[in-house]
Amino acid sequence: MMRRMEEAQARNKLRDWILKHAKTPPGPAFSDQTPLLEGGILSSLDIVEFVLFIESLRGEDVDVDDIDPRVFTSIDTLHAAFFAPA
Amino acid sequence: METASELATRLTRASRKKVWDVHSAFTWPETLAQDAWYMPPELISIYGTAAYDALDDTQRRKLSLYELGNFFSLVLQGERPLVQGLVHRLYSKSNTREITEYLHHFVDEENKHMVMFGEFCHRYIGKVYPEKKISLPREYAKGEEEVAFFCKVMVVEELGDYYNLEIGRDERCDPLVRELNKVHHVDEARHLAFGRLYLTELFERYRAGWTDEQLAGFRSWLVEYLRASWGDYYNPTMYRDAGLADGYELRQMALSHPAAAAHRQRASAKIVTYFIQNGLLAEEPRL
Repeated sequence: MMRRMEEAQARNKLRDWILKHAKTPPGPAFSDQTPLLEGGILSSLDIVEFVLFIESLRGEDVDVDDIDPRVFTSIDTLHAAFFAPA
Repeated sequence: METASELATRLTRASRKKVWDVHSAFTWPETLAQDAWYMPPELISIYGTAAYDALDDTQRRKLSLYELGNFFSLVLQGERPLVQGLVHRLYSKSNTREITEYLHHFVDEENKHMVMFGEFCHRYIGKVYPEKKISLPREYAKGEEEVAFFCKVMVVEELGDYYNLEIGRDERCDPLVRELNKVHHVDEARHLAFGRLYLTELFERYRAGWTDEQLAGFRSWLVEYLRASWGDYYNPTMYRDAGLADGYELRQMALSHPAAAAHRQRASAKIVTYFIQNGLLAEEPRL
């Protein structure tokens, strides 16, 4: 059963994780629309760890076979894919 | 010095001598003993931590089964893209006929390994643990993708081989499990011998055309890849299946625990030494 989380709380947790794991610090203009991968903030090898973190927030496994890699574009797309009500 | 082509000829002969049938090689019992070890306790991912010490003997043995299921799953998941990549390279113009001939055996043996690991996991764990990797497009220097592919091959096989050897010779472990690990090790010894020489030749061929910046970028990717590969051994779902609470926190704790870090350094020593000796890494990374 997926754990529900307030939108602001989910976004904050995603942001904190990204800031902690960023390869390139995102800078003061970092927002929920900042490109995470093409900006070099996260690499493809960070995705596994990030998916496990998202699973821990949701309380439910994520099936990566069903995921379009574009969901990792920004915090907005991550929230829409993993935390927005269906 | 022997070339990869010459070695491939020898390995093809050895593979043909040791050919085996995965569908008749093992006797699969209906159920496994509940009180056996399936992995030596020292290989369990949280060994040496307070979380491990807090488990009773029954919980530790149960965890050893799920750790083994996770280990077989991650090797199987690593072998899937490996087979895909090897098939893609069959009859490639850049390979000799002898190499292509050996790649057929490599693919055949990897396919058998996936069959036996898949059989074990489905029968006794109820599933193969899925991988969480998502492939994203990236840019490569000339030849870098090829070098990176064989580095991945070497990492999955060398780390796996460390576990195969340890489990295969540990008399505390279940006999079927020891046999599976021994059989895997025998085939992998040939794959690793080929991989080491072939990757050395590939890297020498392409490295000269890379800038210092490209080489540094490649090396930093390789360190990250090694770390990510180790991360697969600390699977939150595996902990949950073994009856342990807070799998994600357990993973984070174990990954940062000095006992687990010392184990990773020890188990990676062979592959890291190879990478350093051949210039693929500049120094020993902290894993």
